Formats: sequence, C-alpha cells, structure tokens
Amino acid sequence: MEVLSPYKEATEVILEAGGEPLKLCYQCGLCTGTCPWNMVRSFLVRRIMHEAQLGAVDFGSEDVWTCVTCKACVDRCPRGVEIIDVMRALRRAVASLGIGVVPDALRISAKNIAGVGNPLGEPPERRNDWAKDLKVKDFAKGTEVLYFPCCVPSYDPGVKNVARSVAAIFDRLKIDYGLIGTEAKCCGEAIRKAGYEETFQSLAQNNIDLFTSNGVKTVVVSSPHCYHTFKAEYPELGGEFEVLHIAQYLASLIDKGKLKLSKELNKKVVYSDPCYLGRHNHIYDEPREILKAIPGLELLEFPDARENGLCCGGGGGRIWMDTPKGERFSDIRVEQAAEMGADIIAVACPYCVLNYTDSVLSMGKAETMQVKDIAELVAEAM
Amino acid sequence: MAGFEPQIIAFCCNWCTYAAADLAGTSRMQYPANVRIVRVMCSGMVNPLYVLKAFEGGVDGVLIAGCHLTDCHYIDGPTKCDAMVDKLREMLHVLGLEDERLRREMVAASEGVLFARVIKEMVEQLKKIGPSPFKARTEALA
Amino acid sequence: MEEIRTGVYICHCGLNIAGVVDVEEVAKYAGQLPGVVVSREYRYMCSDPGQDLIKDDIKELGVNRVVVASCSPRMHEPTFRKAVEDGGLNPYLYEHANIREHCSWVHDDKELATNKAKDLVRAAVRRVCRHEPLVVREAPFTPSVLVIGGGIAGMQAALDIANGHQKVYLVERDPSIGGHMAQLDRTFPTLDCSECILTPKMSDVGHHPFIELHTYSEVEEVSGSIGSFKVKIRKKARYVDESKCVGCGDCEEKCPWKVPSEYEMGLAKRGVIYIPFAQAIPNVATIDGEHCVYLQKGKCRACEKACEAGAIDFEQKDEIIEVEVGAIIVATGYDQFDPAVISQYGYRRFDNVLTGLEFERLTCAAGPTEGKILLKDGREPESVALVHCVGSRDQNYHEYCSRVCCMYALKYAHLAKELTKADVYQFYIDMRCFGEGYEEFYNRLSEEGVNFIRGKVAKITDDAVTDEEKGKLVVVSEDTLLGKLIRVPVDMVILCSALQPRADAENVGKILNINRRADGFFLERHVKLDPVATPTDGIFIAGCCEAPRDIPDTVAQAEATAAKALSLISRGTVTLEAAISTVDESICHGCGRCEEVCPFSAPSIVSKNGVMVSEINEALCKGCGACAVICPTGAVTIKHFTQDEILAQVDALTEAR
Repeated sequence: MEVLSPYKEATEVILEAGGEPLKLCYQCGLCTGTCPWNMVRSFLVRRIMHEAQLGAVDFGSEDVWTCVTCKACVDRCPRGVEIIDVMRALRRAVASLGIGVVPDALRISAKNIAGVGNPLGEPPERRNDWAKDLKVKDFAKGTEVLYFPCCVPSYDPGVKNVARSVAAIFDRLKIDYGLIGTEAKCCGEAIRKAGYEETFQSLAQNNIDLFTSNGVKTVVVSSPHCYHTFKAEYPELGGEFEVLHIAQYLASLIDKGKLKLSKELNKKVVYSDPCYLGRHNHIYDEPREILKAIPGLELLEFPDARENGLCCGGGGGRIWMDTPKGERFSDIRVEQAAEMGADIIAVACPYCVLNYTDSVLSMGKAETMQVKDIAELVAEAM
Repeated sequence: MAGFEPQIIAFCCNWCTYAAADLAGTSRMQYPANVRIVRVMCSGMVNPLYVLKAFEGGVDGVLIAGCHLTDCHYIDGPTKCDAMVDKLREMLHVLGLEDERLRREMVAASEGVLFARVIKEMVEQLKKIGPSPFKARTEALA
Repeated sequence: MEEIRTGVYICHCGLNIAGVVDVEEVAKYAGQLPGVVVSREYRYMCSDPGQDLIKDDIKELGVNRVVVASCSPRMHEPTFRKAVEDGGLNPYLYEHANIREHCSWVHDDKELATNKAKDLVRAAVRRVCRHEPLVVREAPFTPSVLVIGGGIAGMQAALDIANGHQKVYLVERDPSIGGHMAQLDRTFPTLDCSECILTPKMSDVGHHPFIELHTYSEVEEVSGSIGSFKVKIRKKARYVDESKCVGCGDCEEKCPWKVPSEYEMGLAKRGVIYIPFAQAIPNVATIDGEHCVYLQKGKCRACEKACEAGAIDFEQKDEIIEVEVGAIIVATGYDQFDPAVISQYGYRRFDNVLTGLEFERLTCAAGPTEGKILLKDGREPESVALVHCVGSRDQNYHEYCSRVCCMYALKYAHLAKELTKADVYQFYIDMRCFGEGYEEFYNRLSEEGVNFIRGKVAKITDDAVTDEEKGKLVVVSEDTLLGKLIRVPVDMVILCSALQPRADAENVGKILNINRRADGFFLERHVKLDPVATPTDGIFIAGCCEAPRDIPDTVAQAEATAAKALSLISRGTVTLEAAISTVDESICHGCGRCEEVCPFSAPSIVSKNGVMVSEINEALCKGCGACAVICPTGAVTIKHFTQDEILAQVDALTEAR
C-alpha cells in the first residue's frame, strides 16, 4: 500500500509563495462542485487544497496549471479561502523553484513577455501599429485619458478591431485621449496568476514608472485583466491611477447623453460576463446598459449569467495553453448561445473574443454566429 | 526617528473596550506595549481635561474608546463622547497637535482583535509622525 | 488628615504573570513609592492565603489603602474588595492594576512588560490615595418577573418561577404560546411527538394562578433597573373579546378571506380571523387586522354574524399595560434562515425544495397533508436529499454551526424512510451528534440504510444530463471521500436551514439595553461562567435568542434563568451602585445642564434655602459620569471616578519611572 506522510517543507514552500489561505479549508468540496472544469473533466479543487495542506502536491501534475481563476469557487467558499491565491502559490513554487514542469506553451509566452513585453513575441516598437492610419495622438502631459488596449488587440490581427473601434468612438466624440509610447508592456495580470511573480513585478514597475512620468491620471482599458491589475494590484506597488473599463466609460457617456446610438442593429445578442469584469470586479450592469442602448438590439441572457457566469476558459494564463477539444468552456457557451437563437455573442474582454471566435470557427458556426466586443457594437451603432 | 517608541494613554469604557482589551489578553493576541489603559465607566465620562493633562504630560497619543453607539450601558454615552471629541479636536488644532494624536474608536466587548489592531495601527502611525511637540516643550522647560 | 498607608500586592498568577513580568522587581519598585508601607508578591493573590496577606497587613501594619496587581478587575476586583472589607476597611479603599490581560498576556518582551506593570502599579498607588470610603446601599427587590417569549424556553422559565409562587408576566407576540416547538412533529432522538410533550406545559401556563399571560402582545418600553424594572406592554387589538370567545372556530369557517398560515409555513391557508392551531393557548380567535376586509375597506363582518358568543369587537383598540418587575427573562427564540438567498439551491424556484420547518408540517398528522410526505403534484417521493449546513458554517451567511441540523436531518431521514420508503441521501460536511442518545441515533439511521455523502452541495438543478435525471431535481456535490463529482437525482430536497437571530433582535436589545454578539445573538455575561446572565443586571437570556440550541439545552437554560430570578427574589434586596454622582452645592449654579444630559433623570434642579441647585436621586443614578463632564463649574463629581483621581492616574502614567 502506498503510504503518505506529511511533507512539511513542501507546505512551507506553498505558504511562503502566498498560499496562506489554504489553512482555512475544511474540505467540504463546494469548490469542486462549483468549478466549471467538472462539467468537462475531473478537477478536484478540494483535494488540491488538502494536498497542499499536507505538502503532498504532485507538482508535476497538469492540475497545477488547470485553474482558470474564474473565482466561482472563491465567491461561494464557506470559509472564504482565496483559492486562486493558493493555485498561484503552487505555480510560483514550480516556476521559481523549478520543482515541476511548466507547460511548453506557457513557458514560451512567459519568455516572450519577459523578453519583449508581450505574450505574442511581437516587436515592442510595433505595439501601436494597430492605430498607424488613425492618427491617434501620443499621450502627453495634460491629455485627459490614456487608452490602454491590452497586448491582444494591439498585436493580434483578429482582435485589432476592438482597439480600432474604441479609437473610432473616441474620435467621433472628440475625447482628449492618447496612446502611451511603445515602452509600455503587458499589464502582467495573467503571467502573475501563472506563477511568474518576478516577471509581473518588473512589468508593473515599468508601466507604473511610464504612466507616472507621463502624468497619467485616467486610464481606460479594453481588457478586464488590465483593469483588475491596474485597479487592485498596481496601487500596492505605488501606481495610483483612475482606472475605467471601456464598458464603464461608455456607459457613463450614454448616461450623460454624450454618446447617442442611432443605427439599428436588429439582432439577438447574448452577453457573456467576463470573469475579471464580473466576479472579480462586480461590473455587471454597465455592459448591459450599453447593449440596451443600441436600437433594435434584442438582449438575451444566458441561464447562468452575472455572478454565475461561465468562464471562457482564458483566465489564469490558460489563454496561452492548449485546451483539448471537448474540454473548452467557450464551446459550451457557443452551443448555449446557438440554442437560444443568438446571432451575436457580445463580450467585453479580448481573451473572450479570442476563445469564442475560436469556438465559433472550430464548431463550424461562423455563418450564423458572430463574436463582438461591446466597443465594436457601439462603433457600428453610432 | 530611529528607536522612537510612542507613549499612548487609552481611556477605555468598562463595559466594552476594557472588556475587549481583556479578550485580547485571554486570546493571547500580541500588540505593542506602548499603551497604558485608564479604566472609565463610560466613554461619555472622559473629561477633555484628562486628555489635555495626558498631552501636557508628554504622551504622544491618546485613545478614547468605548461601546458602539447602540451598545451603551448608559444609553447614549458614545454620542456624548463624540461631541466632546469634536470640540476637543478643535482645541488640539489650536495647540498645534496633529489630528492623528487623538483617536476615537468604538470597540465592542467581543472585538478583541479590533482592539489589538487599533493599538498596532496607532503605534505605527505615531512612529511616522514622531514625538509629540509638547514632549519637547515640556522637556525644554524642565 | 489621616496618614496614607498603602499596601501593594503583586500576583504571580502562577506563571501567567510571573512568566513575563519580573514580579519581584515590580514589588520592589512599588515598595519605594510614596505612601506605600508594604509591598509583596505572591503566587496566587486570589487564594485564601493570598487574601490573608491583605487582611493581616491591615490589622498588623495599619494598612489603610490596598492595591492588587493581578488579572482583570472584571474578574477579581470583587474578590479583593471583599478581602479588604473583611480586613476591616471600607471596600472602596481599594484599587486594581491589570497586569495579566493587559500586560503579561499581550506582550512577550519581558523588559517592556515589566516596565508597563510598574507604570500601572504606580498609577494605581497614586489613585488609591484619593479614594474615599463609599457606602453600599440596598433597595427592595420587586418580587415578580417578566418573561418575554412564550416558546418552550419562556414557558419553562415562567412555570418554574410560578411554581415557586412568585408572580410572572409572560408576554408572547403571537396569538398563541408554543413557539417553534409547537410546529415540530417529532423530536430527536427519541422521536416522541412534540405536541404530546408540549401541550400539557402550554395548558399549565394558561391556567397557572401565578402567571399573567399576555399573548398577541409586545414589550414596548423598559425603564428602571434590577429590582424595579418598569415595563410597558402593548396588548395588540385582536378584535375579539377574550373573555367571551369560546374557541369554537365558527368564525374562521365563515370568514370568506383566506391567507397563508404562518403556523403551517404557508403550506395551508387560514382565515383572516383564526385560531393558529388546534391546541392554541389561549384558545381564542384573533382577527388579523392587516388582512381583514372589514377593517381595511369597511365591508364584511361575516365573523360577527357567525359568532354566537358575541365575542367580536371591531372597536377594540391596542392597550398599554404597565407592570413593575424585579427581573426580566428574555426568551425570544430564533428565525429560520431564508435559503432563497442561496440562489443555486433553487428554493422557491423549484416546487419540491423545502425547508426543515416545511417538512415538519408535512410529516405532522395534523398538518396540511395529514402526515403524508407528498410532492407538490401529490405523488409520494421515491428519493429524498437532505442538505446540511444551509446558511450555517458558511461565512457568506452565518459562520456558526446551528447545532440542531445534523440531528433533525437524521430525524427527517428516518421519517422519510418510515413514511415513504424513499431512498434518502444526506449531504453533510461533518456529522455533529454530541448529545445524549445522539450518536446512537446516527448509528440507527445508518442501519436503516440512509446514504451518507460527505460534501457541501454545490447546486440543485433540473437540468438533466441523463435520462435518469429527467423530471428530477439533481443534487450536485463532490463526494469528498471518493474524490468524485456526484450527481444524485431525487424527487424532493430538504434544506437544513440555519437558525438565525430574530429580525428584530436589534430593537429588542435596544429596548432592554442588552448587547448582541457579532453573530447577532444576545451576548451572555460570561461565555463559560455566567452563560444565562447578560451584562445588564437582572436581565437573563434563555434558549435560541442566545445561540442556536436544541430542546434539552433550551429547557436547561430556561430553568437556570428561573433559578437566577428566584434567587434574586429570595434575597429580597438589590445592591445599588455606590460610585454615583454627587453635587457640591456651594459651587453649583443650578444651570440644569446635568439635568439635560442625564439619560436616567437622576439630577433635578431644586431650591435649597432660596438657591437653585442640582440634587441627585441616588436610586436613579447609574454613575455614567455624563453630568460631571458637562458641569461648567465642576460642582458635580462621580464618586470613585473623581477628576482628582483620574488626573492623578494620568499624571502618574506620564511620569518617568
């Protein structure tokens, strides 16, 4: 019989890496039952907590990298265990101490981020190329708003339109905004969740210095991941800015009567809550307000919307890792949307755009289903 | 300001905060030894003179802590205490004492953790702003 | 002026103090303070030999002031005051320094802790010199008790006191006494019928010559203090003359309007005029004024026509009854947590997701289904799931364990098996079966073939993924012992909902001036050594208003409160606070600020020799000190907490050692 003995040293490594909350876990298993992975494969969150308590974690297991940090379990946990922090601690232990194996895809993205400041491995000087023909001005002292689009819309040809739509809206409304220089780097949210703490620290310091020296007061972002780290994590490192997600910014413009949407869109649109906008930051209403302001648009709701929203599968660094067909949450979402008769899945996160677009294409639904960021829908409806 | 250890006097009401400090003790919570507690029956019993006397004596901070508004053994002591503290603050401004030196808290009997936290915070804050200007003056006179 | 001769005693408290504080050094230090004639340290000052040190020094060395530095004064100040008194001194010539809870237990640095102990002792020595002898006064104790709440706790307390031939006023908010226990079908672990053991007690309460029962009534105002609380009770208009109503029920039958019955948890309807249940005490009808069509719209009066006794009285008004009591027992019970806020459990969304109390009514022979466990569509369930810890042990709702759910879940499992032959699945986190016969009951249910699944339920859904799940409620959880996600399709789900504080507990606390813990339940004076007293003298708490508990514990607590009240009554007097305010009439201007600020109306401005001065009613003064702070001339002082004393204490604390 295989005998287990507690391995205190391993527990201590996890605790030191930020896994302190795991001490509170009383093994009820609510996390496992709540975790979306268990719809498609087995992922025993509770067991990982207990293994971590006893120092019996299999650091070589792919389970270390599975959590999408969607926060569904944390919100329900009866003991308030910050399960994401524990998962991040396990990853830190692997990434920094090398006591396990980092998946190849993640390792490459991490290397790219550390090297050139973006996960795609694109040249830094081309960060603002998406706006080359749009004559967006560079951010200078006194510019009201900094628009920070996230690496994905900046470089990925399929998602560029998200950033271009924001620029189009801002231009039409004559908003005083600018783009920061190409010294900007990835916000670091996801790579931190993937366990690369040092990389995060250097990215954050770079961006904070850049924003501060340019006198940035207000940042508008397209990605809930940038939003989260700017808002919740940068202040601890000395970066204090007003941070607004594009959904908040546009909703307030609509509310003030400054943004009017006149073009009809006679489509059924279902909105999928991004985890980092919804559960992580409680922004549920603004995206819906925006969609409702588009004439002709019929807004549908997933049965598991808002607080219960299903993740697209892209959080916690999973966006860079391969998820086999049959295990993709975004496939479930697209299937649900199709059953509801939706024409468009509206999202408010570049990762969601990537994952849903991928699913729509791979499921052969491109003819009948579109994936759009709310900024794209707004730009079209102006 | 290396090595500066602020001196704090805390006026604690018998029913709530004094009991909270007892609870911090029975729960063996550690907090800095910079505080000396004076037991009063009610936070509403604290005369502004006591606070002025403490500052005159050179303490770096004074804490007045008692029951929450609705928990008072004497119905509305905390409200009276709040009013007194508001007036006292104005006086302390005139005397040139920083706002942080006088702290008003409501700590219920069950809030031992809060009591320990308040003391920790206060000590940290006072370490930042340094010794009371009165201390130097008193020492100069002596 | 007498010479001050202070004795200082430093307690080791074993190693509790001496392990951190250098007690010898503190004693040596205290010995050289002005006025100190003797300074000693001893292993346990609270022991008899410890107290004897004080008594002997008073007699032999002429010590006339005493300082003990030990644990919290909230613990042992009374002990040492008594020792001082026994030694022949006034007990108020004593001062306490807290060097355990406020020093040795919270600081581990020996030098810092020793210094702090020295400071605290110095301040106490400085203050004790200024203490004056105070006279402890006694007032008569009103030999009657108010019991608030007519559930099992309130009834038991009332009966115990009344059986001792002392007067009890029992106030119940609902039209009948009985409380939650009257809604229960059977009681764990013996499975005896709740009504069978409860109704004789209800009847005793209803007929007891020493119990004055006020149902459909609420305590509105309480003033005064131990020994003489003045209580205002609002007897709500029930629009029925209790003396005429014979409880025949004809009115309810004829009442054309029906509303959900609270007693039946909404599973059945009652008339707008109603008797809540068959065994109600008093067995009289009540008109629910909020729903009565005549009272709201001026038309109907069907009940009046039906009542042969002529008991209906639409002119009835709320009545205020004023009583005076010496002690108060609070037995206001609990509310059931509403599981609808846990949206993933689908309560109210799914027909066959029930709460515990709803299930009680289903299994009760006198209930809406005549004791049959039926689904909403009238079928008998083939499978039942019991979900533990709904709203309990969960910091999103209530962090505490509700204590009774494990056991009543076992009871439900048994009843489901007995009455329906259904398969039963219990989803638990931990089985807590701690009482007499409880573990044995758990064992019995295992024998009966209940399936125990260890895991907190994640959700209840009607979203079927297999044919087997179609038309069923699917309970989703991790089976944490197997390490597998489990989906159990069942017909009925019972949510074992938490017991939570009454929605109006805050208000009741305010009326009575008693505190609540962070969890919302009423706070006991000492969790271990004074569990049924509150910090307010003369007010006691019993049953679930203090924390969730089962019937045996509730009854034991109720009996404890009765014993406390009876002990006060048999003593006959109450000691009044000695540290109260006093006025120096030679400097009082009679401005009346003290009168304005006092919450107890103790001071009043009176004319003495043609001069207006403040006079303190010593029976009303509680010694809060508000008058002394507000007094512009310094004429008002609080004895034992005089300005002089506190300034001396502060002064001593700011001095160098």
